[in-house]
Amino acid sequence: MKNLAIIAIIMLGLTSSVFGGGPWPQPKGNGYFKLSEWWTVFDQHYTDTGNIDPNVTTGIFNTAFYGEYGITNRLTTTINANLLSRNYMNNLKSQTTQEVIVPGEAINTFGDVDLGIKYGLTKQGQLPLSISLILGIPTGKTNAGSFGNLATGDGEFNQILQIDTGFGFKIGKNISAYASGYAAINNRTKEFSEEFRYGIEAGIGLLKNRVWLTSKLNVVESFKNGATAETVTSTSIFANNTEFSSIAFEANIYVTKNIGVSLGTAGAMRGEIIAAAPSYSIGVFYDMNK
Amino acid sequence: MKIYQFVLFIAIASIFQSCIKDDFVKDFVEPVLRITTPLDTMQINTNFQFEKMFLNNIGSEITVDAIWTSSDASTISITEGGLATALQEGAATIFATFQDGDEIYQDAVIVHVGATTTINLQMTNGSIATTSSYALQGDFIFEETIGGVKLTFADNYQASTALPGLFVYLSNNANSIANAYEIGAVEVFNGSHTYDISNVGFSDYQYLLYFCKPFNVKVGDGDL
Repeated sequence: MKNLAIIAIIMLGLTSSVFGGGPWPQPKGNGYFKLSEWWTVFDQHYTDTGNIDPNVTTGIFNTAFYGEYGITNRLTTTINANLLSRNYMNNLKSQTTQEVIVPGEAINTFGDVDLGIKYGLTKQGQLPLSISLILGIPTGKTNAGSFGNLATGDGEFNQILQIDTGFGFKIGKNISAYASGYAAINNRTKEFSEEFRYGIEAGIGLLKNRVWLTSKLNVVESFKNGATAETVTSTSIFANNTEFSSIAFEANIYVTKNIGVSLGTAGAMRGEIIAAAPSYSIGVFYDMNK
Repeated sequence: MKIYQFVLFIAIASIFQSCIKDDFVKDFVEPVLRITTPLDTMQINTNFQFEKMFLNNIGSEITVDAIWTSSDASTISITEGGLATALQEGAATIFATFQDGDEIYQDAVIVHVGATTTINLQMTNGSIATTSSYALQGDFIFEETIGGVKLTFADNYQASTALPGLFVYLSNNANSIANAYEIGAVEVFNGSHTYDISNVGFSDYQYLLYFCKPFNVKVGDGDL
């Protein structure tokens, strides 16, 4: 990778829609649903010192379903499920003899699932404020492959408590816009470190709100209170003590009143113990609110 | 409809991108012929079989027919197969030579002839250093033992605990663990410790390598 400025990082648990979410619960009986493909292929990673080192080219591909549905006007259920997750590593060959030193491997399984509920704390007319409880279910596979180096999940149970706020506004007379922010605590099991997560998001609606351009800054700070290789031999601890700050951009384009497509990419400013490469997503969404 | 065609194109492109491809390791090393017998003195009127090893351009040992010669056949005579005979007191240089096309590989040792046969146990000092962003440092002593070698790290040894599956190897290629001897998983990340390694000769390997085995990441190395 020559252009380190566009190095991106994405953690499996933060692949949900930029466009969905925010402090606004879905109205009762309404929802937002999205089927997407998210992928990253990386041949380098951020080390524990924040520098970038090479690694065997590794790919992660997730076919994910993201959904929000309003149970009441204040209570919304959410799901982010990786329906099919593929993780592979390239063959490692000798440049001199062309012989395979370590054969490549791949796994294709169900990935991790996040289930959540969001509750609107404020009434209409007040600054939107919501609180969410998200449970990360470790339905993905860990320690797969000959050396336990392949995974479609981190193998641990998450409990994320999150608070969101934001507001909508107009730019001029015709352009809708919004800004929001969140902060969360991620409690993790199996000796994984707890995390503090926060971020801000902004978006503008163009062409009579048929096109929404959004961007999001995500930050994950590890408490670094979990296991290391000194105490645990599992390769899944490589997903432990992960930190990053990333910027995501997404375009959501309505092609009918309710249905649209989304295109997204993400880039990083810093990271520790995480892939260092751009990630991309493409999906189709159904918005019942229109 | 065009936007759906674009989505379909991207989806198909991503599927092709998800195939296992090839990564390449720059693993060329200069081939080398080594005399591996640590003989210092031969007892007069006795025979001794010399041994050698040839390492190819990736540091892998292959069998070759080297020719053995002596600088002074009246002191130590030697057959083409490496069987030496000590004839009189003094010293001679023993050569092993292998010709591969236009390339000639040679190693030599000075051997004395005396009252008793002496094979010196060899020892060297070295240090490991990181070649990555992961912490790895420390001084070591690599020494020959009866039946193997011993690797002893000093108090200043330190290795990163952030990596899973950190392994230590003996290798003849600084960039590859293909054909390397796997000493084992790193279990000590700080301070002095020792590895006793059986059935490995002092001259069999040139490098000490630290690799994250599951993810094929080289962490550091040291010369032996």
